[in-house]
Amino acid sequence: MSKVKPSPSTVVRALIEVSITPQKDVGFDSIAERIYSYPEVKSCYLLSGGFDLLVIVEGESIHTVADFVAAKLSSMANVRQTATHFLLRKYKEEGQIFKHSKNERRQIISC
Amino acid sequence: MRISKRVDELAPSGIRAFFDLVLGMKDVISLGVGEPDFVTPWHVRARAIESLEQGYTSYTSNKGMVELRLEIAALLERRRQISYDPEEEILITVGVSEALDLAMRAILNPGEKVLVPEPCYVAYGPVVELAGGKAVFLRTSIENGFKVTPQQIDEAAGRGVRGILLGYPCNPTGTSYSKKELEAIARVVKKHDMLVISDELYDELTYDFEHTPMATLPQMRDRVVYLNGFSKSYAMTGFRIGYACGPADIIGAMTKIHQYTMLCAPITGQMAAIEAIKTASGDVLAMKKEYDRRRRFIVGALNDIGMTCHMPQGAFYAFPSVKVSGENSLDFARNLLLKQKVALVPGVAFGHCCEDHVRISYASSYDNLTEAIARIEKYLKKK
Repeated sequence: MSKVKPSPSTVVRALIEVSITPQKDVGFDSIAERIYSYPEVKSCYLLSGGFDLLVIVEGESIHTVADFVAAKLSSMANVRQTATHFLLRKYKEEGQIFKHSKNERRQIISC
Repeated sequence: MRISKRVDELAPSGIRAFFDLVLGMKDVISLGVGEPDFVTPWHVRARAIESLEQGYTSYTSNKGMVELRLEIAALLERRRQISYDPEEEILITVGVSEALDLAMRAILNPGEKVLVPEPCYVAYGPVVELAGGKAVFLRTSIENGFKVTPQQIDEAAGRGVRGILLGYPCNPTGTSYSKKELEAIARVVKKHDMLVISDELYDELTYDFEHTPMATLPQMRDRVVYLNGFSKSYAMTGFRIGYACGPADIIGAMTKIHQYTMLCAPITGQMAAIEAIKTASGDVLAMKKEYDRRRRFIVGALNDIGMTCHMPQGAFYAFPSVKVSGENSLDFARNLLLKQKVALVPGVAFGHCCEDHVRISYASSYDNLTEAIARIEKYLKKK
């Protein structure tokens, strides 16, 4: 069982670019399955372009996420390279806009 | 006397002092706002910004930009299956407020009467009076969902009554009318050869059934001045764009007044309105869905704490009774504000028959509504 059970308000999230060496017959699927099976991995996408998998990881702190990347992800067989980007601020997600300072611009009362 | 008799005799607002009290307080949860809490959809704002960058800063045709009138005609054809000639039967105004004023001034001779179901929007009485007419208020109550009946209209109609000013969905009650109910009203209107000034500004915020424009009913098109705008459905209050559609003679008369007084609606607002029709129907639906969610919550919660409230069919207002408090609407609103810092609008603002009610706007976040209900409940328990 994972020890990582971050609450929504304290969660640290990282987007990790993962370059992997595809395996014979199964391509990227087998290594992808090994990665997305970790509960720390919230999303995992196979992409076109400069790297192969985009993995979204959540943890209680930057250190937790960094430890996961170092201990589990980078060291995994067939993983050639990782690049970790920590999410600093959420502006919009799933169509919802997050405003950090919403000023009420309406009159406080009107008919 | 420096002030004209007509203006001097306008009844002063009974809630001005209350509004001043609200405006002087801080950290208030306000459920007293009569406009959407959503910001205008981005596509629309972006088009307004772009139009300014491109130098669209001039007057437009008195009637409004032809492109906007064409878009409105197409929208009404598509959404409401009613046709208006963009050249002769549509006028772009500075909000529906101006259209209301123009309509009254265009149709009323001194002393002629207009029937006004009450509760109603605060301006209905004054625009009739300022046009030299006389407003005849038809009282409704929570018992019949604040709906005016054909019998009431029939009894009040007659000599000197030019028409009826009907707003649906209604500010402040949220009441609207089914097609069948409107047909019954239309029969009486035709019987007495009256006009209908039909304020349908909240039409897209109708939740339980499809909105029926009065002008689409049989033999009604020629006796209806249909008023609508962008403020509520598209969350564009500050752009100040409304429109009036109707028979060419009445729209022509309204245009005559408009060209001498307003000249034209602001071009930035008109550009934004064109974009709204073209791109914002999805936003309108999304806002409506959220209002509906809040409507169900607020009406259920009010009834749960003893404030009897009918289910409004449209707009974004609930109009509960304050009888459980033992106070009239103004005292309830004032004491709730002072003790629990929740602002709402006393019913007396909307008519003499509304002493026992307050208007609650649910154009406010779900969190605000939840907190406000908790505070109102606390207030009622401490009494």
